[in-house]
Amino acid sequence: MSHDVMIDLQQVNKFYRGQKAPVVENMSMTIQQGEIIVLVGPSGCGKTTTMKMINRLIEPSSGRILIDGTDVTALDGNDLRRQIGYVIQQVGLFPHMSVATNVGLVPKMLGWDRKRIEARADELLHLVGLEPAIYRNRLPRQLSGGQQQRVGVARALAADPPVMLMDEPFGATDPMTRDRLQNEFLRLQEQLRKTIVFVTHDFDEAIKMGTRIAVLGERSKIRQFDTPENLLASPADSTVAQFIGRGARLKQLDLRRVDAIAWEDIPLIQPDKAANGAKRQLEQTEGSSALTVDADNRPLRWVNADDLTADAGALDGAAGQTVTTVEPQATLRDALDAMLASRDGAAVVVDEHGRYAGTVTLDGLMQVIHHTPERGAPGSGVPDQRSGVAPAAELTPEQR
Amino acid sequence: MTFLEYLQSRRELLLAQTLEHATIVLMSVALATVIGVLIALWTYRNPRARAVATGMAAAMLTIPSFALLGLLIAPLGLGYTPTLVALTMYALLPILRNTIVGLSEIDPALTEAARGIGMSRLRSLATVEIPLSWPVILTGIRVSTQMTMGIAAIGAYVGGPGLGNQIFSGLANLGGVNSLNQALVGTLGVIVLALTVDFALALLGKLTQAGQRPKLFRPRPARRPTLTPSTAVPSPSLGGRE
Ligand SMILES: Nc1ncnc2c1ncn2[C@@H]1O[C@H](COP(=O)(O)OP(=O)(O)O)[C@@H](O)[C@H]1O
Ligand SMILES: [Mg+2]
Repeated sequence: MSHDVMIDLQQVNKFYRGQKAPVVENMSMTIQQGEIIVLVGPSGCGKTTTMKMINRLIEPSSGRILIDGTDVTALDGNDLRRQIGYVIQQVGLFPHMSVATNVGLVPKMLGWDRKRIEARADELLHLVGLEPAIYRNRLPRQLSGGQQQRVGVARALAADPPVMLMDEPFGATDPMTRDRLQNEFLRLQEQLRKTIVFVTHDFDEAIKMGTRIAVLGERSKIRQFDTPENLLASPADSTVAQFIGRGARLKQLDLRRVDAIAWEDIPLIQPDKAANGAKRQLEQTEGSSALTVDADNRPLRWVNADDLTADAGALDGAAGQTVTTVEPQATLRDALDAMLASRDGAAVVVDEHGRYAGTVTLDGLMQVIHHTPERGAPGSGVPDQRSGVAPAAELTPEQR
Repeated sequence: MTFLEYLQSRRELLLAQTLEHATIVLMSVALATVIGVLIALWTYRNPRARAVATGMAAAMLTIPSFALLGLLIAPLGLGYTPTLVALTMYALLPILRNTIVGLSEIDPALTEAARGIGMSRLRSLATVEIPLSWPVILTGIRVSTQMTMGIAAIGAYVGGPGLGNQIFSGLANLGGVNSLNQALVGTLGVIVLALTVDFALALLGKLTQAGQRPKLFRPRPARRPTLTPSTAVPSPSLGGRE
């Protein structure tokens, strides 16, 4: 994972003739390779204008924009745009061209030969989850909205551009499709590691997609530019807080996974252990619970001292409380759900074989929410840390 | 001489005049297409330029054909050239206006996407905008063709070619031996020719549509340009969904 600067906006301004105030004022921003930077803010604040200045669909009035160290004005605008993926909300597939032709447009402009373009189109359709044999010869209107946007993403990726600009790409789809497209895109991004500028007005989408989020105000002024975790934990001002909306804490839980917080150990009671041993063990825990496990260390039930005495010191399988387990990749929201289901406010973490690995408790959760979101790793906001946090449970999409 | 006998006896001449008629009409429509599409491309994004261009083309259409042909004799002389020029001027408006309508009806998201993926202006026009507005442009071409078919007959007045010569000599010696036959064959010839060419253009529209061009992007009926030139001989169907 490199930390090279990929996009550098330096004091960029955009004035329109006849308007006193600039649409974008003194915007500076440094974007690392591999990040998804989300520009989020109220409608009309200049998100699209800012984004379009990067590929010079709109020429800045002043300031500099560097991509990978090169000033974008050094290139011909069309050449520049062929090297930058571009996805818009309306998709903009050409209705008179087949899906494969649409996808192959940029490679064609770059002078690839026909065979290579066809192979690339198939490869990309496959990548975005559309079976090439079925879809390559279709016309865009023969696809659903979600499929069309998949093709739109494929078209943007065709020439393997290092940078992608996405303007509310999933904004026109229904919530379920949007959720699926988001997840698929995050999964793709884990392989592709593009540098992405992503515009949205939906803060939840920003949290979900962003490595870092720039909350913009009037004239594209940056109110806060930080990781989703930091943004939720400590909004810079009341406007940002208002924009984040209710449920910031719960949103934080969505972002983090069980393996990102400290686990606690609890007493385990092995099946072969004599009841007396178990009793002694439980008495030492001063009234709190222990976990019975089977021979493979798989959790069975929660027990405490009461369960023992009621049964004359013997432990049978029926005593105690059922156990709720989570896997390390589960979100903290899932963990919270498991905790609420358990008598002691603890969720048992199990590995992929279902064996006991530790427990997480409400206390632990509180600590996470109220302290720094770092996970002990240096340099929070490192891109790959975030993309790994992509809603793990949903990352196995029902591919069609 | 009956009508059929007349047809029989003048077969060669009539065939030649029909061909001439078709040629000058198609030539003027082709010229008008080139000029009209160019002017449309040049003006369609600027409302004022667009208004000026269509206004001028519309004004030309209002000049009575006799007057226009007469006026053109001074600079261009008699014969072929003034007829061609006059026909081209008349053919301009429907093509110009339909091209402007077709181009401005294109979804802005498409032109934005074209630019966004790095298409040059020229490439965007050639591969996206003109192909998508082609059905509308072709409708304009058909209207122009129908219209100029009739006007071309009047070209004979300034010595132009075509079936108009039959009509004019028929009218000139009204009551003469073959006057009625001449007028009749000229008029019917123009009508048959007009229908044939219109059919051919409709076919062309079908062929260039070739499955690939979605019907979705043809103009909706409500906004379809309605050009019913008063001078047109057979009113061509603007329904355009043949
Ligand atoms: N071509 C233009 N001329 C004048 N003003 C414009 C133009 N394009 C956008 N604007 C103005 O710039 C502001 C920012 O627009 P935009 O970047 O599209 O906002 P956002 O994408 O955040 O909704 C808006 O107030 C809009 O009215
Ligand atoms: Mg916008």
